[in-house]
Amino acid sequence: MTTTTYADGIVPCPPRAGTLYDVLELILDRGMVIDVFVRVSLVGIEIIKIDARIVVASVDTYLRFAEACNRLDLERDSGSTTVPELLSGGVAKSVGKRKVRKAAESVGDTVRRAVGGDDEAEEEEARPRKRRAPARPKSGASRRRRAEA
Amino acid sequence: MAGDGLYVYAVVRGGTPPPEGAGGVGDPPGVPRTVTAGAVAAIVSDAPARLRARRRDLLAHQELLMRLAEGGPVLPMRFGTVAPDEGALLARLAGARKNYLAVLDRLDGHVEVNVKALPAADSLADVVAEEAAVRRLRDEARRRPGYETSVRLGEAVASALSRRAAEAGREVLRELAPLARAVAHGPEVQGCALNTSFLVPHDRGEHFRTTAERLAEARRSHVEIRFAGPLPCYSFVGDADAPGRPAAVTGG
Repeated sequence: MTTTTYADGIVPCPPRAGTLYDVLELILDRGMVIDVFVRVSLVGIEIIKIDARIVVASVDTYLRFAEACNRLDLERDSGSTTVPELLSGGVAKSVGKRKVRKAAESVGDTVRRAVGGDDEAEEEEARPRKRRAPARPKSGASRRRRAEA
Repeated sequence: MAGDGLYVYAVVRGGTPPPEGAGGVGDPPGVPRTVTAGAVAAIVSDAPARLRARRRDLLAHQELLMRLAEGGPVLPMRFGTVAPDEGALLARLAGARKNYLAVLDRLDGHVEVNVKALPAADSLADVVAEEAAVRRLRDEARRRPGYETSVRLGEAVASALSRRAAEAGREVLRELAPLARAVAHGPEVQGCALNTSFLVPHDRGEHFRTTAERLAEARRSHVEIRFAGPLPCYSFVGDADAPGRPAAVTGG
Protein backbone atom coordinates (compact mmCIF):
# COMPACT_ATOMS: atom_id res chain seq x y z
CA MET A 1 0.00 0.00 0.00
CA THR A 2 1.34 3.39 -0.88
CA THR A 3 1.63 6.05 1.73
CA THR A 4 -0.09 9.37 1.60
CA THR A 5 2.89 11.41 0.57
CA TYR A 6 1.50 13.41 -2.25
CA ALA A 7 3.02 15.11 -5.18
CA ASP A 8 6.51 15.40 -3.82
CA GLY A 9 8.57 17.98 -5.63
CA ILE A 10 5.88 18.72 -8.15
CA VAL A 11 3.57 20.94 -6.19
CA PRO A 12 5.15 23.82 -4.34
CA CYS A 13 3.45 23.16 -1.00
CA PRO A 14 4.98 20.55 1.23
CA PRO A 15 2.61 17.62 1.15
CA ARG A 16 0.38 17.81 4.15
CA ALA A 17 -2.70 16.44 2.50
CA GLY A 18 -1.91 13.29 4.42
CA THR A 19 -4.89 12.20 6.42
CA LEU A 20 -7.91 10.59 4.93
CA TYR A 21 -10.06 11.81 7.79
CA ASP A 22 -9.30 15.42 6.89
CA VAL A 23 -10.44 15.04 3.30
CA LEU A 24 -13.12 12.40 3.70
CA GLU A 25 -16.03 14.74 3.06
CA LEU A 26 -14.39 16.10 -0.08
CA ILE A 27 -14.01 12.63 -1.56
CA LEU A 28 -17.53 11.59 -0.60
CA ASP A 29 -19.48 14.83 -1.02
CA ARG A 30 -17.56 16.91 -3.53
CA GLY A 31 -16.23 16.11 -6.94
CA MET A 32 -18.23 15.82 -10.09
CA VAL A 33 -21.47 13.91 -10.33
CA ILE A 34 -22.86 12.59 -13.58
CA ASP A 35 -26.57 12.20 -13.05
CA VAL A 36 -27.04 9.35 -15.47
CA PHE A 37 -24.36 7.24 -13.80
CA VAL A 38 -24.92 5.28 -10.66
CA ARG A 39 -23.26 6.25 -7.47
CA VAL A 40 -22.80 2.92 -5.84
CA SER A 41 -25.82 2.54 -3.62
CA LEU A 42 -23.88 0.92 -0.82
CA VAL A 43 -21.78 4.03 -0.45
CA GLY A 44 -24.88 5.92 0.61
CA ILE A 45 -25.69 3.38 3.23
CA GLU A 46 -22.20 3.69 4.67
CA ILE A 47 -22.58 7.44 4.98
CA ILE A 48 -25.85 7.12 6.84
CA LYS A 49 -24.19 4.73 9.26
CA ILE A 50 -21.41 7.23 9.92
CA ASP A 51 -23.94 9.99 10.65
CA ALA A 52 -25.76 7.83 13.14
CA ARG A 53 -22.57 7.03 14.97
CA ILE A 54 -21.56 10.65 15.14
CA VAL A 55 -24.78 11.58 16.94
CA VAL A 56 -23.96 9.02 19.58
CA ALA A 57 -20.40 10.28 19.77
CA SER A 58 -21.39 13.90 20.34
CA VAL A 59 -23.26 13.18 23.55
CA ASP A 60 -20.16 11.33 24.59
CA THR A 61 -18.17 14.47 23.79
CA TYR A 62 -20.50 16.65 25.89
CA LEU A 63 -20.04 14.35 28.86
CA ARG A 64 -16.27 14.53 28.50
CA PHE A 65 -16.38 18.32 28.42
CA ALA A 66 -18.49 18.32 31.56
CA GLU A 67 -16.06 16.03 33.28
CA ALA A 68 -13.15 18.25 32.24
CA CYS A 69 -14.96 21.29 33.68
CA ASN A 70 -15.47 19.58 36.98
CA ARG A 71 -11.82 18.71 37.02
CA LEU A 72 -11.01 22.40 36.64
CA ASP A 73 -13.08 23.15 39.71
CA LEU A 74 -11.24 20.59 41.75
CA GLU A 75 -7.94 22.11 40.78
CA ARG A 76 -9.08 25.53 41.85
CA ASP A 77 -10.71 24.44 45.08
CA SER A 78 -7.89 22.20 46.15
CA GLY A 79 -5.27 24.84 46.64
CA SER A 80 -3.95 28.20 45.75
CA THR A 81 -4.57 28.17 42.02
CA THR A 82 -6.36 31.38 41.23
CA VAL A 83 -8.34 32.29 38.19
CA PRO A 84 -5.51 34.37 36.69
CA GLU A 85 -3.26 31.36 37.10
CA LEU A 86 -5.83 29.20 35.40
CA LEU A 87 -5.84 31.58 32.51
CA SER A 88 -2.11 31.70 32.19
CA GLY A 89 -1.89 28.02 31.52
CA GLY A 90 -0.25 25.36 33.58
CA VAL A 91 -2.62 23.16 35.48
CA ALA A 92 -5.86 24.04 33.85
CA LYS A 93 -4.52 24.01 30.35
CA SER A 94 -2.88 20.67 30.68
CA VAL A 95 -6.08 19.15 32.00
CA GLY A 96 -8.26 20.94 29.51
CA LYS A 97 -6.10 20.10 26.54
CA ARG A 98 -5.93 16.44 27.35
CA LYS A 99 -9.65 16.19 27.84
CA VAL A 100 -10.62 18.18 24.81
CA ARG A 101 -8.24 16.26 22.62
CA LYS A 102 -9.54 12.98 23.96
CA ALA A 103 -13.09 13.98 23.28
CA ALA A 104 -12.27 15.14 19.78
CA GLU A 105 -10.42 11.95 19.04
CA SER A 106 -13.29 9.79 20.12
CA VAL A 107 -15.38 11.27 17.33
CA GLY A 108 -12.60 10.72 14.83
CA ASP A 109 -12.15 7.14 15.93
CA THR A 110 -15.83 6.51 15.46
CA VAL A 111 -15.73 7.72 11.91
CA ARG A 112 -12.65 5.73 11.13
CA ARG A 113 -14.22 2.61 12.51
CA ALA A 114 -17.32 3.16 10.45
CA VAL A 115 -15.40 3.77 7.27
CA GLY A 116 -12.57 1.38 7.52
CA GLY A 117 -13.22 -1.08 10.30
CA ASP A 118 -12.06 -3.96 8.18
CA ASP A 119 -8.70 -2.47 7.35
CA GLU A 120 -6.97 -2.95 10.64
CA ALA A 121 -3.52 -3.22 9.11
CA GLU A 122 -3.80 0.25 7.63
CA GLU A 123 -5.54 1.80 10.55
CA GLU A 124 -2.52 3.72 11.76
CA GLU A 125 -2.31 5.52 8.48
CA ALA A 126 -5.78 6.96 8.88
CA ARG A 127 -5.07 8.78 12.09
CA PRO A 128 -5.15 12.52 11.79
CA ARG A 129 -1.52 13.56 11.94
CA LYS A 130 -2.24 16.91 13.35
CA ARG A 131 0.13 18.92 15.44
CA ARG A 132 0.16 17.18 18.73
CA ALA A 133 1.49 18.57 21.92
CA PRO A 134 4.31 16.46 23.29
CA ALA A 135 3.30 14.10 26.02
CA ARG A 136 3.21 15.70 29.43
CA PRO A 137 4.67 13.14 31.78
CA LYS A 138 5.47 15.81 34.32
CA SER A 139 1.99 17.24 34.75
CA GLY A 140 1.99 16.09 38.37
CA ALA A 141 5.23 17.86 39.04
CA SER A 142 4.16 21.07 37.36
CA ARG A 143 0.94 20.98 39.29
CA ARG A 144 2.86 20.81 42.53
CA ARG A 145 5.15 23.61 41.47
CA ARG A 146 2.23 25.79 40.63
CA ALA A 147 0.51 25.04 43.92
CA GLU A 148 3.64 26.04 45.80
CA ALA A 149 4.12 29.21 43.84
CA MET B 1 -12.85 -8.69 -10.83
CA ALA B 2 -16.42 -9.17 -11.93
CA GLY B 3 -17.31 -6.54 -14.51
CA ASP B 4 -20.13 -4.38 -13.13
CA GLY B 5 -19.48 -1.34 -15.25
CA LEU B 6 -16.66 1.17 -15.21
CA TYR B 7 -15.54 2.97 -12.12
CA VAL B 8 -14.81 6.56 -13.19
CA TYR B 9 -12.08 8.50 -11.36
CA ALA B 10 -11.84 11.67 -13.35
CA VAL B 11 -12.45 13.51 -16.58
CA VAL B 12 -9.24 14.80 -18.16
CA ARG B 13 -8.01 16.17 -21.45
CA GLY B 14 -7.80 13.70 -24.32
CA GLY B 15 -4.56 11.76 -24.49
CA THR B 16 -3.87 11.86 -20.75
CA PRO B 17 -2.36 8.52 -19.74
CA PRO B 18 -3.40 6.83 -16.49
CA PRO B 19 -0.91 7.56 -13.72
CA GLU B 20 1.88 5.02 -13.72
CA GLY B 21 1.93 2.53 -10.91
CA ALA B 22 -1.26 3.78 -9.25
CA GLY B 23 -3.78 1.09 -8.43
CA GLY B 24 -7.52 1.63 -8.60
CA VAL B 25 -10.38 0.75 -6.28
CA GLY B 26 -11.18 -2.86 -5.50
CA ASP B 27 -9.31 -5.83 -4.15
CA PRO B 28 -7.13 -6.68 -5.98
CA PRO B 29 -6.74 -3.05 -7.12
CA GLY B 30 -8.28 -2.25 -10.47
CA VAL B 31 -5.98 -1.31 -13.32
CA PRO B 32 -6.64 2.26 -14.44
CA ARG B 33 -6.92 3.05 -18.12
CA THR B 34 -7.97 5.94 -20.31
CA VAL B 35 -11.19 6.05 -22.30
CA THR B 36 -10.82 8.80 -24.86
CA ALA B 37 -13.52 10.67 -26.77
CA GLY B 38 -11.56 13.16 -28.85
CA ALA B 39 -10.48 16.16 -26.82
CA VAL B 40 -11.70 14.76 -23.52
CA ALA B 41 -11.12 11.45 -21.78
CA ALA B 42 -11.98 9.61 -18.58
CA ILE B 43 -9.70 7.60 -16.34
CA VAL B 44 -11.50 4.38 -15.40
CA SER B 45 -11.01 0.87 -14.12
CA ASP B 46 -13.37 -2.10 -14.08
CA ALA B 47 -15.78 -1.54 -11.21
CA PRO B 48 -15.39 -4.09 -8.45
CA ALA B 49 -18.45 -6.19 -7.75
CA ARG B 50 -19.02 -5.03 -4.18
CA LEU B 51 -17.74 -1.52 -3.82
CA ARG B 52 -18.09 0.18 -0.47
CA ALA B 53 -16.59 3.32 1.05
CA ARG B 54 -13.74 1.29 2.49
CA ARG B 55 -10.66 3.06 3.66
CA ARG B 56 -8.40 1.48 1.08
CA ASP B 57 -10.83 2.27 -1.73
CA LEU B 58 -11.20 5.89 -0.63
CA LEU B 59 -7.43 6.12 -0.48
CA ALA B 60 -7.02 4.51 -3.89
CA HIS B 61 -9.47 7.02 -5.38
CA GLN B 62 -7.67 9.92 -3.71
CA GLU B 63 -4.15 8.69 -4.51
CA LEU B 64 -4.94 8.14 -8.15
CA LEU B 65 -6.37 11.64 -8.47
CA MET B 66 -3.37 13.15 -6.72
CA ARG B 67 -1.03 11.44 -9.13
CA LEU B 68 -3.16 12.38 -12.09
CA ALA B 69 -3.23 16.03 -11.04
CA GLU B 70 0.56 16.15 -11.29
CA GLY B 71 0.27 15.81 -15.04
CA GLY B 72 -2.41 18.36 -15.82
CA PRO B 73 -5.89 19.59 -14.95
CA VAL B 74 -8.34 17.04 -13.58
CA LEU B 75 -12.08 17.00 -12.97
CA PRO B 76 -12.31 14.64 -10.01
CA MET B 77 -15.41 12.47 -9.85
CA ARG B 78 -17.18 12.00 -6.58
CA PHE B 79 -16.28 8.68 -4.97
CA GLY B 80 -18.37 5.79 -6.19
CA THR B 81 -19.30 6.93 -9.68
CA VAL B 82 -19.88 3.96 -11.97
CA ALA B 83 -20.71 4.13 -15.67
CA PRO B 84 -22.78 1.22 -16.96
CA ASP B 85 -20.41 0.56 -19.87
CA GLU B 86 -17.87 2.17 -22.16
CA GLY B 87 -20.49 3.19 -24.71
CA ALA B 88 -22.47 5.18 -22.16
CA LEU B 89 -19.30 6.84 -20.92
CA LEU B 90 -18.17 7.79 -24.42
CA ALA B 91 -21.60 9.24 -25.17
CA ARG B 92 -21.45 11.31 -22.02
CA LEU B 93 -17.93 12.57 -22.69
CA ALA B 94 -18.86 13.58 -26.21
CA GLY B 95 -22.10 15.23 -25.09
CA ALA B 96 -20.55 17.40 -22.37
CA ARG B 97 -17.19 17.90 -24.08
CA LYS B 98 -17.41 21.67 -24.36
CA ASN B 99 -18.36 22.09 -20.73
CA TYR B 100 -15.65 19.73 -19.48
CA LEU B 101 -12.97 21.46 -21.50
CA ALA B 102 -14.00 24.87 -20.20
CA VAL B 103 -13.73 23.75 -16.59
CA LEU B 104 -10.45 21.91 -17.24
CA ASP B 105 -9.06 25.15 -18.66
CA ARG B 106 -10.26 27.08 -15.64
CA LEU B 107 -8.67 24.61 -13.21
CA ASP B 108 -5.41 24.27 -15.12
CA GLY B 109 -2.49 25.30 -12.94
CA HIS B 110 -4.58 25.37 -9.76
CA VAL B 111 -4.82 23.23 -6.66
CA GLU B 112 -7.42 23.00 -3.92
CA VAL B 113 -6.43 23.79 -0.36
CA ASN B 114 -8.95 22.84 2.30
CA VAL B 115 -9.05 24.78 5.54
CA LYS B 116 -10.89 23.53 8.59
CA ALA B 117 -11.35 25.49 11.79
CA LEU B 118 -11.66 23.45 14.95
CA PRO B 119 -12.09 24.50 18.55
CA ALA B 120 -8.71 25.23 20.08
CA ALA B 121 -7.66 22.24 22.10
CA ASP B 122 -6.32 24.08 25.13
CA SER B 123 -8.89 26.84 25.55
CA LEU B 124 -11.22 25.23 28.05
CA ALA B 125 -10.03 27.38 30.93
CA ASP B 126 -10.54 30.52 28.83
CA VAL B 127 -14.06 29.42 27.98
CA VAL B 128 -14.97 28.80 31.61
CA ALA B 129 -13.48 32.12 32.63
CA GLU B 130 -14.98 34.20 29.85
CA GLU B 131 -18.36 32.69 29.08
CA ALA B 132 -21.09 33.60 31.53
CA ALA B 133 -23.47 30.89 30.35
CA VAL B 134 -20.87 28.21 30.88
CA ARG B 135 -20.07 29.48 34.36
CA ARG B 136 -23.75 29.49 35.29
CA LEU B 137 -24.24 25.91 34.11
CA ARG B 138 -21.07 24.84 35.84
CA ASP B 139 -22.35 26.22 39.13
CA GLU B 140 -25.61 24.44 38.58
CA ALA B 141 -23.79 21.21 37.82
CA ARG B 142 -21.91 21.55 41.07
CA ARG B 143 -25.08 22.14 43.08
CA ARG B 144 -26.98 19.30 41.40
CA PRO B 145 -24.50 16.87 39.91
CA GLY B 146 -25.99 14.40 37.50
CA TYR B 147 -26.33 13.28 33.93
CA GLU B 148 -28.73 16.05 32.86
CA THR B 149 -26.71 18.94 34.23
CA SER B 150 -23.50 17.41 32.93
CA VAL B 151 -24.84 17.10 29.41
CA ARG B 152 -26.13 20.68 29.52
CA LEU B 153 -22.83 22.00 30.81
CA GLY B 154 -20.82 20.02 28.30
CA GLU B 155 -23.07 21.11 25.48
CA ALA B 156 -22.64 24.76 26.46
CA VAL B 157 -18.88 24.28 26.52
CA ALA B 158 -18.90 22.57 23.14
CA SER B 159 -21.03 25.28 21.63
CA ALA B 160 -18.89 28.09 23.10
CA LEU B 161 -15.69 26.43 21.85
CA SER B 162 -17.26 26.07 18.44
CA ARG B 163 -18.49 29.66 18.29
CA ARG B 164 -15.10 31.05 19.31
CA ALA B 165 -13.42 28.87 16.70
CA ALA B 166 -15.87 29.99 14.03
CA GLU B 167 -15.32 33.67 14.81
CA ALA B 168 -11.55 33.40 14.75
CA GLY B 169 -11.68 31.05 11.77
CA ARG B 170 -13.75 33.52 9.75
CA GLU B 171 -11.09 36.15 10.29
CA VAL B 172 -8.51 33.78 8.85
CA LEU B 173 -10.74 32.97 5.87
CA ARG B 174 -11.35 36.65 5.17
CA GLU B 175 -7.62 37.28 4.99
CA LEU B 176 -7.01 34.25 2.80
CA ALA B 177 -9.79 34.86 0.29
CA PRO B 178 -7.91 37.51 -1.73
CA LEU B 179 -5.05 35.04 -2.25
CA ALA B 180 -7.34 32.50 -3.90
CA ARG B 181 -8.93 32.36 -7.31
CA ALA B 182 -12.18 31.02 -5.84
CA VAL B 183 -13.64 30.01 -2.51
CA ALA B 184 -16.07 27.15 -1.85
CA HIS B 185 -17.73 26.42 1.44
CA GLY B 186 -17.57 22.73 2.17
CA PRO B 187 -20.14 20.46 3.75
CA GLU B 188 -20.53 20.55 7.51
CA VAL B 189 -18.11 18.27 9.24
CA GLN B 190 -18.70 17.04 12.76
CA GLY B 191 -16.26 18.72 15.10
CA CYS B 192 -15.32 21.48 12.65
CA ALA B 193 -16.59 25.02 13.10
CA LEU B 194 -15.72 25.93 9.51
CA ASN B 195 -14.83 23.95 6.42
CA THR B 196 -13.78 25.95 3.38
CA SER B 197 -11.78 25.19 0.27
CA PHE B 198 -9.68 27.60 -1.74
CA LEU B 199 -8.70 27.35 -5.37
CA VAL B 200 -5.08 28.47 -5.36
CA PRO B 201 -2.73 28.98 -8.29
CA HIS B 202 -0.15 26.22 -8.27
CA ASP B 203 2.77 28.59 -7.97
CA ARG B 204 1.16 30.58 -5.16
CA GLY B 205 0.68 27.53 -2.96
CA GLU B 206 3.68 28.18 -0.77
CA HIS B 207 2.73 31.81 -0.20
CA PHE B 208 -0.83 30.78 0.62
CA ARG B 209 0.38 28.26 3.15
CA THR B 210 2.84 30.49 4.96
CA THR B 211 0.26 33.27 5.16
CA ALA B 212 -2.34 30.85 6.45
CA GLU B 213 0.01 29.49 9.08
CA ARG B 214 0.87 32.95 10.29
CA LEU B 215 -2.81 33.88 10.60
CA ALA B 216 -3.59 30.63 12.39
CA GLU B 217 -0.72 31.03 14.82
CA ALA B 218 -1.94 34.46 15.87
CA ARG B 219 -5.33 32.99 16.85
CA ARG B 220 -4.31 29.69 18.33
CA SER B 221 -5.98 30.41 21.66
CA HIS B 222 -9.35 30.45 19.91
CA VAL B 223 -9.06 28.14 16.96
CA GLU B 224 -7.07 25.25 15.59
CA ILE B 225 -6.69 25.62 11.84
CA ARG B 226 -5.98 22.52 9.81
CA PHE B 227 -4.91 22.60 6.20
CA ALA B 228 -5.13 19.84 3.66
CA GLY B 229 -3.56 20.34 0.32
CA PRO B 230 -2.58 20.62 -2.36
CA LEU B 231 -5.53 18.49 -3.39
CA PRO B 232 -7.34 17.69 -6.62
CA CYS B 233 -9.96 20.39 -7.16
CA TYR B 234 -12.93 18.45 -5.77
CA SER B 235 -14.78 21.56 -4.70
CA PHE B 236 -14.35 23.53 -7.91
CA VAL B 237 -15.83 21.34 -10.59
CA GLY B 238 -18.75 23.78 -10.35
CA ASP B 239 -21.45 23.17 -12.88
CA ALA B 240 -19.24 21.05 -15.10
CA ASP B 241 -21.91 18.44 -15.19
CA ALA B 242 -25.00 19.04 -13.10
CA PRO B 243 -25.86 22.74 -13.20
CA GLY B 244 -28.11 22.53 -10.14
CA ARG B 245 -25.42 21.31 -7.79
CA PRO B 246 -24.96 23.32 -4.62
CA ALA B 247 -21.28 23.94 -5.19
CA ALA B 248 -21.14 27.42 -3.78
CA VAL B 249 -18.34 28.75 -5.90
CA THR B 250 -17.68 32.41 -5.60
CA GLY B 251 -14.99 34.71 -6.83
CA GLY B 252 -13.31 34.04 -10.05
